[in-house]
Amino acid sequence: MSIVAKVIAQSDISERFLSSAELTQLQDFFNKGSVRISAAQKLAANEQKIVDQGSKQFWNQCPNTPSNSGNAQKTGLCQRDQGWYIRLVSYCILAGNSKPLEDIGLDGMREMYISLGVPLANLKVAMGCLKSVAMGLLSSEEAAIAGPYFDQLIRAF
Amino acid sequence: MQDTITSLINPADEKGQYLEGNELDKLKQYFQTGTLRVKAANQIGSSADSVISESVEKSLLYGDITLPGGNMYPTRRYAACLRDLTYFLRYATYAMLAADISILDERVLNGLKDTYSSLGVPIEPTIQALQAMKEVVTQRVGTEAGQEMDVYLDHIINGLR
Repeated sequence: MSIVAKVIAQSDISERFLSSAELTQLQDFFNKGSVRISAAQKLAANEQKIVDQGSKQFWNQCPNTPSNSGNAQKTGLCQRDQGWYIRLVSYCILAGNSKPLEDIGLDGMREMYISLGVPLANLKVAMGCLKSVAMGLLSSEEAAIAGPYFDQLIRAF
Repeated sequence: MQDTITSLINPADEKGQYLEGNELDKLKQYFQTGTLRVKAANQIGSSADSVISESVEKSLLYGDITLPGGNMYPTRRYAACLRDLTYFLRYATYAMLAADISILDERVLNGLKDTYSSLGVPIEPTIQALQAMKEVVTQRVGTEAGQEMDVYLDHIINGLR
């Protein structure tokens, strides 16, 4: 769900047209449209780089973790998931809210990683490393939009 | 409900892909028309009651439908007609903002024809009122935004036929 769908749904529940505050919110969102698109494009183009450099930072801080255990298959899966989280952040940037991240990647996430035996505390560090690499690739305007979604991701772990 | 953005994200996620080329172009277009949409929604929302009165005046007010025996008589049915036209205007405005018809299908058209036929609400006059609403809305919001609203009001009209 996007910010547009969200304000429409909340207006619909109270059977009214959009309030001027809601319309202003949408206007602000549309005004940042081209920054949102360029931020999402940069994340897409640099996913591999963010994951590779993020992993190096992560293993420095947290050497004893499944993705660094020498099992290439495990490393591959962990890094694949990290790439997926970057993709979900790119969806959030375009949607103007965090629903894509929540619905696709956070709902049930804890149960899944606990069952896989991947320590959530380590993942939290890993996500922080992805954020720090990604922020370095974005302009300050793009980073201001992307940052809060990465923060929400980090908090979720 | 879907909106333009979600309708692009969901299928991309099914394939595990980022939004690229064509999809980003569609989003870019949508973002660029955002100001037009927000402005029109503001104009319509702040004068919805008068849009409805004027639409009724242009289409139904002076016809037999408001006389005894007509479907807008007595006042209870007149008010029900105003209420339904206000629903149509509100949902068409939502759909215009979202640039997506799905909310009309889900919240307005789903079962509407059956409801109207069981209540004896005549379809043709409803369509006449919606046609008048298109004209009134365009006068308020201008040609460009008016054409965009026409897409969604026409979708309701086609769903009633």
